[in-house]
Amino acid sequence: MIACVAVIGHQNNPLYIQSFTEADDALKLHHIVHCSLDVVEERVNNPKKSGPTLNETFLGLLYPTENYKVYGYLTNTKVKFILVTTDLDVRDADVRNFFRRFHAAYVDAVSNPFHVPGKKITSKTFAERVSNIVKSFGLSSAG
Amino acid sequence: MIGVGKIKQYSNVLDRSLSKGKQEVSLSAFAFLFSELVQYNQTQVDNISELERRLEDAGYAVGARVLELLCHREKGNRRETRLLGILSFVHSTVWKVLFGKVADSLEKGTEHEDEYMISEKELLVNRFISIPKDMGTFNCGAFVAGIVRGVLDGAGFPAVVTAHFVPMEGQQRPRTTILIKFAEEVLRREARLG
Repeated sequence: MIACVAVIGHQNNPLYIQSFTEADDALKLHHIVHCSLDVVEERVNNPKKSGPTLNETFLGLLYPTENYKVYGYLTNTKVKFILVTTDLDVRDADVRNFFRRFHAAYVDAVSNPFHVPGKKITSKTFAERVSNIVKSFGLSSAG
Repeated sequence: MIGVGKIKQYSNVLDRSLSKGKQEVSLSAFAFLFSELVQYNQTQVDNISELERRLEDAGYAVGARVLELLCHREKGNRRETRLLGILSFVHSTVWKVLFGKVADSLEKGTEHEDEYMISEKELLVNRFISIPKDMGTFNCGAFVAGIVRGVLDGAGFPAVVTAHFVPMEGQQRPRTTILIKFAEEVLRREARLG
């Protein structure tokens, strides 16, 4: 079950935050996303190993909390995608696939000439595509 | 007789499935659009430098989006952190996607450490444009300079980018050069990375 997805701009300003649980803990999810930004900064500034993995876009599992797992993805323009999920066993390939489709939806949203870079993403098409991707993520990893 | 042949062709075309289409736009369509863009901006401003700035701002928006798109499409998805890396990215990949070929040459400036030049025998956007004498050194390549500035800025390399005509002996039309001057912090960071 995906709890929340977030797109954070390159100055750490939120561009899009959407939670997919029915409970009212949106604030807690926002807080988790905010804390995970620190981990992203640390990963970017101190690469664990040099060489071919130096500039990877997929950052992997950022940190596990009591019942959530947080995954990160960094694009070329320092825009970060954060995924908070409550699943206990999530395959790496599934998360990579998710981020790939999410990146495609993000690129399409930014290509809109009426979108101001640095402002929130207000496109309804983007929101629909994201919720489709989230729904299919749950189905594919259940099997 | 000719009419009969045409009718047969039409019913077949409708039966065929839709093709994916080419990834290219016709040059004349782009030339029309660009000439209208320049004309529209010309009516809004009073002087040359303002016109150049507006074209550059238009290019900046394009550059930012082109960077996002290309980084998503490229297999291997590496983030460029080195100066030479981002310059060769602009010089080959961006140019190939925008103009269908790589840029003619990439050179390092001799006078200053922070200057690089991408030159092109004739910029595609300037192909159907001739500058009247009273406009002086105005160059519609300011649009392309804006695109390069958008790409560099989005990737984290703030720079000042301008377009210039460089007369070459032996050829009647001058070559166009995009001059890239990187900001201080980029050079400091590059020196730190070693």
